[in-house]
Amino acid sequence: MTVEWVHPGLLLILGAWVLPFLKGRFRRGAMLVLPAAALIDCVLMTPGTYGQATFLGQDLVFGRVDDLSLLFSYVFSIMALVGMVYSLHVDDVSQHVSALTYVGGALGVAFAGDFLSLYVFWELMAISSALLVWLRREPSAVAAGFRYLLVHVFGGLVLLAGIVIHWSQTGSLAFEDMGAFSGGLAWALILVAFLLNAAVPPLGAWLPDAYPEATVTGAVFMTAFTTKSAVYVLIRGFAGTNLLIWLGAAMAVYGVVYAVLENDARRLLAYHIISQVGYMVCGVGIGTELAINGASAHAFAHILYKGLLFMGAGAVMHMTGVRKLNEMGGLYKTIPVTLGLYMIGAFAISAVPLFSGFVSKSMVVSAAGEEHLATIFLMLTLASAGTFLHTGLKLPYYMFFGKDSGLRAKEPPRNMLVAMGLAAIACVLIGVFPGLLYDHLPYPADYVPYTLAHVTNTLGMLAFTAFGFFLLLKHLDPEPKISMDTDWFYRRASARLVTLSQGPLSRLEYRFIGEIYEFLIRLPVLGAANLFRKLDTVIVDAALVGVGRSTQNLSQVLKMAGSGHIQHYGLIMAIGILALLALLVVFAL
Amino acid sequence: MNFLERQLEDPTRFARIKRGFYVVLGVIALAEIVLPLIFHGEEHHFGFEGWPAFGSLYGLASCVAIIVLSKLIGKLWLMRREDYYDR
Repeated sequence: MTVEWVHPGLLLILGAWVLPFLKGRFRRGAMLVLPAAALIDCVLMTPGTYGQATFLGQDLVFGRVDDLSLLFSYVFSIMALVGMVYSLHVDDVSQHVSALTYVGGALGVAFAGDFLSLYVFWELMAISSALLVWLRREPSAVAAGFRYLLVHVFGGLVLLAGIVIHWSQTGSLAFEDMGAFSGGLAWALILVAFLLNAAVPPLGAWLPDAYPEATVTGAVFMTAFTTKSAVYVLIRGFAGTNLLIWLGAAMAVYGVVYAVLENDARRLLAYHIISQVGYMVCGVGIGTELAINGASAHAFAHILYKGLLFMGAGAVMHMTGVRKLNEMGGLYKTIPVTLGLYMIGAFAISAVPLFSGFVSKSMVVSAAGEEHLATIFLMLTLASAGTFLHTGLKLPYYMFFGKDSGLRAKEPPRNMLVAMGLAAIACVLIGVFPGLLYDHLPYPADYVPYTLAHVTNTLGMLAFTAFGFFLLLKHLDPEPKISMDTDWFYRRASARLVTLSQGPLSRLEYRFIGEIYEFLIRLPVLGAANLFRKLDTVIVDAALVGVGRSTQNLSQVLKMAGSGHIQHYGLIMAIGILALLALLVVFAL
Repeated sequence: MNFLERQLEDPTRFARIKRGFYVVLGVIALAEIVLPLIFHGEEHHFGFEGWPAFGSLYGLASCVAIIVLSKLIGKLWLMRREDYYDR
């Protein structure tokens, strides 16, 4: 028997459990071999349907392999490899096991052809990524991890409810385009669950809440998989859903607005994940071939440059122990290599020509243009300026330049630099040779990013954004503040609810509802109970006592019969036999 | 002292960089205006894309709008003390 298809996700999920049994060099070797094997596995795959199983009379498909799932599986496993290189120096094996399980879950989602296996991998991702937050082992991380997990458990339940309703209505678990069920309850529930994982506001506050609290290496993994696997399932199920156009564009601007206010380096980057995923969601909503290609390509490019940016910010945090921008500054003197690699990621996310973001983001913006969505086009372009403003200018300015904070750092460990170098190479390669990426898109791509107008427009926009930045620089100084997001509802409003229920509500309960209860419920119930008790003593007990007495009397009589004289017994036996005979005679006749 | 440090710490060199930046800005804006006049044929999806130096102007306007509006929203409404959630 030959093995026709090996699930790369299962390879990672099961393979991760080898790590705790290895030490030192062997463990580090295994950490690289596992994602490399998954990558090779994905690259060798040919389109088709594999890994079919039957469960409860339903067909499960673990391996739906087509252009779309292959594209996402490539970038997921490339990022797993880069992330593992970045974590080689970490001695905490539980982090590595969680990270590999998390990547395995994402690969499982990418290849799932039915809702049930999708759901299983979906939940696996939620749990294993929550571990990446908890494993920083600080009180704030533990609290953030619980909030993260609760939000995702809620999302998972919404998804499950949608799946069950969809199943009962159609009798099928197959995960295909949901357009035919548009507007139905199942459609809405599944869409909400997907949007929650894609961090679409108002359901997206979990992302900037949790990611900055994760471990330095864990955050690098988290940036890549949850939101992008959600983008993948949105492309699969909800391409062309008009609502998503506006949600995506609003999301792109929303992330930029919050990034202005943000002081925590990794939280600023987290808000830019939301902004960038906005482009993808918008592309999914537009739904034309160019737009879907754009959303997929942007997801691919985004995973690599966002990973690079988080690696850069994480490296600074790792070497200095500082995470707030107002406490940083002047680091360019001591860690220029980290700065250089970070800037490649920053140019990529800002869509500077010759970097990856330029060739992917512009597909979505052009798709909005082709559909003559002027407002959307302008919103997306504005968000582009905002992206460069923060990731390319504000963050590096305050982290590496700006006022010298006196912080002195060494360059991070070599493995961190190598990982950042790998991601940086990928960002530049895609930017210079877009064909490398375009050849693998779900639809044939004849898009030409490098036109004269497009390049000059983009350069003009970026250069004058930089001009605006330096003009307004003194108003941009990061402030040691935090900004309320929709997580306020479960972080603050819930606390107020508790205070309310302990104070006024409990008094109301005691004085008012309690009295009503006393009058309406307790008195009648007690009265009825009393009545029944009397009934019980008078009738039921008396009956029982009566039965007892008569039994006692009967036994007294019977006792008299037990005299001990053999002739009495003989007499009784004879009477009994005669009685039996009499019965026999009566019934025989 | 690394390369960047030499460039940024020396006032004359820094002034030179600043001048260079302004020159680049001018060249890019000019290129955006002039080049479409020389090489025609690229169609726009919207009329406003054809305005002279649209990219540069929109970039500057976006940048200023984002900073001013976000700071306004932040100051008036969203920003809180760092221990807001811990109290």
